[in-house]
Order: sequence, then C-alpha cells, then structure tokens
Amino acid sequence: MSYWTKTFRAFTFVALLWAACVSLVAAQGFKRPAPTAADWAALAKLPDFTGVWEVSMGPAPSTSRIINPAIGVPSMRPTALSLTPAYEVKRQVLMAHAEEDNQSANCLPPGMPGIMAQPYPMEFLLTPGQVTIVIEAYSMVRHIYTDGRPLPDDPDPNFFGTSIGHWEGDTLVVQTVGFSTQTEIEPHVPHSDKMRILEKFRLLDPNTMSIETEVTDPEALTAPYVTNRILKRHRSWTIAEYICEQNNRNFVDQSGKAGINLTPPSDASPAPKQ
Amino acid sequence: MPIDSAVKKVGFAALMLAGLIAAAARTAGAHHGFAVFDTTNQKTIVGTVKEFQWTNPHTWVWLDVPNDKGGVDTWGFEGMSPNFLGRRGWSRSTLKPGDKITVTYFALKDGSKGGAFLSFKRPNGEELSMWKGSPTEDN
Repeated sequence: MSYWTKTFRAFTFVALLWAACVSLVAAQGFKRPAPTAADWAALAKLPDFTGVWEVSMGPAPSTSRIINPAIGVPSMRPTALSLTPAYEVKRQVLMAHAEEDNQSANCLPPGMPGIMAQPYPMEFLLTPGQVTIVIEAYSMVRHIYTDGRPLPDDPDPNFFGTSIGHWEGDTLVVQTVGFSTQTEIEPHVPHSDKMRILEKFRLLDPNTMSIETEVTDPEALTAPYVTNRILKRHRSWTIAEYICEQNNRNFVDQSGKAGINLTPPSDASPAPKQ
Repeated sequence: MPIDSAVKKVGFAALMLAGLIAAAARTAGAHHGFAVFDTTNQKTIVGTVKEFQWTNPHTWVWLDVPNDKGGVDTWGFEGMSPNFLGRRGWSRSTLKPGDKITVTYFALKDGSKGGAFLSFKRPNGEELSMWKGSPTEDN
C-alpha cells in the first residue's frame, strides 16, 4: 500500500469517526460531566441568589436604584417597544379582534417574557452547571444551563424557550431562543420564531435583585426592547402550590368572550357516597 | 402573622380604590383581566358567609344574602389567590361559615350575583382589604 493510500485511508477513518461523534452528540445532546466536589465548592463563590424573590410591588423603582454606581452603569436601559411595519399591522389586527381576556383566564400559562413579570414569587436554585428558577405562578420551572453547552441550532419552539447562561463577574447573563408564537412580547404584541431574549441577573444589594431583559427580533422589532425589574428577597417565604385548574371559575370562550362561573360549590352535584 | 395585624381601618374609600387600581395595573400579568367586572361600580352588600374557598387561582367567598322574596340568594365573590393573601395576613380561617360581613366589591357587568372581592367589614368595625399592599420586609 502506498504512502498516499495509507494517508487517504487514515484520513477517511478520522473523518468517519468525527462524523460519527458529531451525529452521536446531535442525537444525544450535550452530556454534562458528573459534578465534582470542586464544582459544588465553586457555587459558594457566586453571588447568593438563593431563596424566594418577588417582583417589588412597591412604587416603581427610580432609575438611580437600577443603576448602582457600585456595580457600574448597566449595559441596558429601558426602551420603548418599536415594531416593524409588518408586525405593527399584525398587532393592530390582534387588537381589533382581541379577546375580552387573555388565555390565562383558561389557565394557559404565559410564556417568556411574561412569566417573569407575574405578581408571585420565584425561587432560584444553583447547582453545578445549572440555575433553576421555580416560578410560583402556574407552578412553572425555567432551566438555565451554565455548563458550557451551546445554544441549540434548531430548537423546538416552546413557551420558555431554551436557555443557556454564564457568569460575567457577579452578573448571570442568560440567552434564550426558540419560542412558540403562541407567546407574546407584551399583550397583543406578537413575535417571530427568531425572537431572542437576553437577561442579566445581578444583586444591587444583599436582598435586591435586578433583572434586565432585552428582547430582539429581526422580523418583529426595529430595535431591542429592554425592560428592567427589581425583586426583593423574602427569607421567610416558601414557594406555594399554584394549581390553576383547582377552582378556576374564569374563562374565555371560543368567540373570545370572557365569563365567570358562579355556581356555588355546595350546589354542585356531590360526589357519590361509597 | 396574626390576623389582627392585617386588620386595618380604611378611612377613605377613594384611597383604597386608588390603591386597588394601582395594584391591578401592576398585576396585569396575573391570572386574568377585569373584563367581566365593572371597575367603575364599587358596591357593598351585607350577608352571612356560607363558605370561604381557599383555592387557586382565586379565593371565593360565598355569601348568603336575604332577597326580597323572603328567601336567600348565594352570591359569589372572587378574591386574590391564597398565595398572595397568605403572605399578607390572611389565612383559610379568616372567614368562617356564619360570619356576618359587609363585602365591598366590583359588580359584574352582566348584573349576576357576584363580583370582585375588594374588602370586608365585620359588625365590630374590623375591616380587611384584599389589597393590603406590600408584604412586610423579612430579609
């Protein structure tokens, strides 16, 4: 066998092996290594996000509270929503045919970014390679992978998208892609399947968290849409159950009309006696 | 938190209403909007608690109210969730069957016997609002 034939065969073998590895990774996805004691110890060096936080219900925070000189000028300041002409038309159509209430009246949870703006608390859990946000409203969960995996190229569209994050100093920076077009940027503001959301989580003081949220969408938005939120930590709180279907008496019917079920519980047919 | 600490005299109905509307605006992302309620039509009604449902996504107060035919109608009032109220001084025993209360509410637009629960008052003058505002700082 000639040198060149050997080289060619070796090259082919390596190429096939590489192709096999790529397809294996694609098939199985990113495989996170088992956490080590060092991985657990490293968590202690991160800012303390643990515990239960709620979007501040007090007066709207002043800009000076959002921009903390000790942390530096935030990269993102709130901006107005600016839709492309095509999506402005879509919004007008949606508003003209707006249902009297949104689908959450039927217990359909809001997606991103609305799920992060609920008047209910959320709990942050930090484990090696992952930040998990347990959201009380509708008993929802967001998974943010901080283990170095890439964003998916072709994610299944869903309500909360697929999130990866990394730490830049004391700030958790999260990128999220892959949203269902069932979700909205704001009420009656649609987005395309190219929407991306960038979030920056950081502590302004030991019990105050800032979340800066930047929505970009090359089809729907002419400029990034930035909103900021302030959350307060509540050390005595725990996340409560929120089963929306437990006793939901609100509804929006198929014609978009909102209604309410006023049948008293004791008038409902009793359960058969055993 | 004892119930008493959450009992607060509300001197000015207008103040409470302003607080309510501000709170409602902040909670626009909550379970549902106010489409079925007439938020310009704040009413009161006197009755006896038949049942207090401490359930998600809303608490419900079922109130027996005498009607003009000599009988009783059961009215339903939708309140904030137990999760929200539980952190603001309420509990599932805040209202018990047999409690005589005056309920302040936003009426239903279609005139049905019910509405959005805003606050209640006991005969001894104790008043408790759904919208007590911010929970106490506990960090």
